[in-house]
Amino acid sequence: MKKSRVASFIGVSLLSLAAFFYVSSASIAAEKKEIVIGTPLPVTGVLSMEGNEQKWAYDQAIKDVNAKGGIFVKQYKKKLPVRLIVADAESDPGKAAAAVERLVKVDKVDLLLSSFTTNLVLPTSVAADKLKKYYHATTLFPELWLPQKFKWSTLFFFSVVKGAEVPFKVLGSIPEADRPNNLALLMEDTTDGRGLGGALEAAAKKYNVPIVLHEPMAVGAKDYSALILKLKSKGIDAVVMFGASQDCITFVRQMKEARLDLKYYHGYKGTWTADVANALGKDVQYVLADGFWSEDFPYPGAKELGKRYFKQFNKRSVSVGLYYSLCQILWQAIEKAGTLDGQKIRNVVLTTQFKGTTMGDVKYDQEGVALFDLGAFQWWNGQLKTVYPFDMSGGYKVKIAPPWDKR
Amino acid sequence: MKRMNRKSLGLWIVLLAACAAVPFVFDPENSYIVYFLFMAFTYVALSQAWNIVAGYTGQVSLGHHAFFGLGGYVIAILWSRELIGYLDPVGMLAAGCAAAILAIIVGIPLLSKLRGDYFALGTLGLGEILRLITVQGGAFTAGPTGILLPSSSFNTLTPHYLIALFLAVFALCVTWYMARSKIGLALVAIRDDEAAAAASGINILKFKVLAFAVGAFLAGLCGALQAYYLFHVEPQGFYNLNWTLYPVLMCVLGGAGTLSGPVIGAVFLCAVFELAKYALPEIHPIFSGVLIILAIMFVPKGLVGLKLSPMRGRKKGAVKISEPS
Repeated sequence: MKKSRVASFIGVSLLSLAAFFYVSSASIAAEKKEIVIGTPLPVTGVLSMEGNEQKWAYDQAIKDVNAKGGIFVKQYKKKLPVRLIVADAESDPGKAAAAVERLVKVDKVDLLLSSFTTNLVLPTSVAADKLKKYYHATTLFPELWLPQKFKWSTLFFFSVVKGAEVPFKVLGSIPEADRPNNLALLMEDTTDGRGLGGALEAAAKKYNVPIVLHEPMAVGAKDYSALILKLKSKGIDAVVMFGASQDCITFVRQMKEARLDLKYYHGYKGTWTADVANALGKDVQYVLADGFWSEDFPYPGAKELGKRYFKQFNKRSVSVGLYYSLCQILWQAIEKAGTLDGQKIRNVVLTTQFKGTTMGDVKYDQEGVALFDLGAFQWWNGQLKTVYPFDMSGGYKVKIAPPWDKR
Repeated sequence: MKRMNRKSLGLWIVLLAACAAVPFVFDPENSYIVYFLFMAFTYVALSQAWNIVAGYTGQVSLGHHAFFGLGGYVIAILWSRELIGYLDPVGMLAAGCAAAILAIIVGIPLLSKLRGDYFALGTLGLGEILRLITVQGGAFTAGPTGILLPSSSFNTLTPHYLIALFLAVFALCVTWYMARSKIGLALVAIRDDEAAAAASGINILKFKVLAFAVGAFLAGLCGALQAYYLFHVEPQGFYNLNWTLYPVLMCVLGGAGTLSGPVIGAVFLCAVFELAKYALPEIHPIFSGVLIILAIMFVPKGLVGLKLSPMRGRKKGAVKISEPS
């Protein structure tokens, strides 16, 4: 190819792209007939399982609000339907920030809904601040979010300090004779794993529970035999583990093969998905999981949302209620603000008590954070039963796992 | 200068001027084309960095993400300690130099002992080693959380865009200079027949390390720019293998060992990825993957080789490694 042709080829390609982006942006900006919400979700890559569950909840919330004719926006003197645009964050922080750029600049979204997990929510919060677009965020520890003093986002999640106390509260509810004595922490070597590991250590001190072993774990490890031998040699009978679903599945399978009998196995992040239950079959029995929400919670719409999820996936979810309520909060805020101006909506979020969401009543503080209590659930007969908060467990009490050969 | 060369040079200058004018014609805060080109130029520079090492010297490196990540971390560590400022050229230079120094330190043992696939695997390990060191780096690297930089410094994407354009042009000029000089002769001689090159008196290790260090320097600069854009430097994103694999794909697809191949490959693949994400948000990796397979099957010498005539336009004393004029 001649040099002049190369230059021409590159020039024509760039011009075509410029025209494409210009035309697509112009057509979107032409008329205001709907509220366009963008979300940089990980629908491909290692976080796609969680990202797709989050997308399902967003879709439900949008379907429900549109069934009522949409959201009344005073500025336009009418109800506007809501449309969701998903930009793939590809489970990568850089790609997540790029997804926000695309949503804001190409799709011209009015507002942004949260991505999933610290590594994606943090860079997308930065991107939202840079692009001055309101970002309604969750799944990021406030302890990491607050120091950044973001001006264009708010956060609805649990505090890592309080969330780390949950296993100790659950362990404390077990009769002393049955209670496991030797606890190990196995923490994924990531931001969240390290943060939670430190908080669990602090919580253990507070609840006077000695930690016999605290080990970091590589993401995607395929062989836990050395670790399991170590756990056996130290007489570990309880494990709190923070890891991805696939890692938790591998660990439980190898734990069974090596006959490591744990009375209590509490997984964070990786043990609540339907895929874990499907992959482990009956071995998922007694496994505990963290979770943001349950259909057992006595909040408006929780049971109905849970039924809808069960009908589609034949499993209970411990997360969709959080994402659904995030949308409910945003719908209420838009209506109250009477505009799609991001700063005005954020101000409403900071100053309003949001009632009747699937997470109960929600109130943000002046720094833009609203907190809820992290839950604990146990797999029992193929379903997740609420263990904590105790007052929402419906009488279900945590069960101690018998040795593998007695199951 | 031949008439054709003048015309070609003129076209390149017009193209460059047009690219430089983009953020002043389109609003960088509202137009996606500015962001798209910012990323495309970054990939042009990264692809060209890999091209110097693999395309010209024949040393397939799979460790460019290590240099990219190191560049990002140099900025983050220096800026978070207020040793440099926002978009500080000194910081960027330090990032490039740090990457180049690492390349020399690692390159001497690797390039003297390993060849071919073994060298590729050796460099692949480098990225993972650096990622783990960063994760375990405690307060110095802020562990797996990474370092958050003051995003309030951001006003507009225009300076990032212009720096990315400068990096792309700089990478092109460096490659052009190396290709036209005696260094280029030595590199191609090493690529084509290492034993013959050594027998001709070429210091094999010296030239290999030089190419590796220059490539690393450019990758480090790109990492630094990305840190200034993202304001959050963390190991998972900055030591991501994609920062090596995408430039490799771009270079191979455009035409490795040519000057304009990485430019065409980078612009083409960035456009394909973007359009696929836009049109097929949930299955875009499948579409992009199929397109890459088809392109490599049907255009194995790269897009630049579509009408390549290998012997045309060779100059006396110049290495035939860029496409002929």
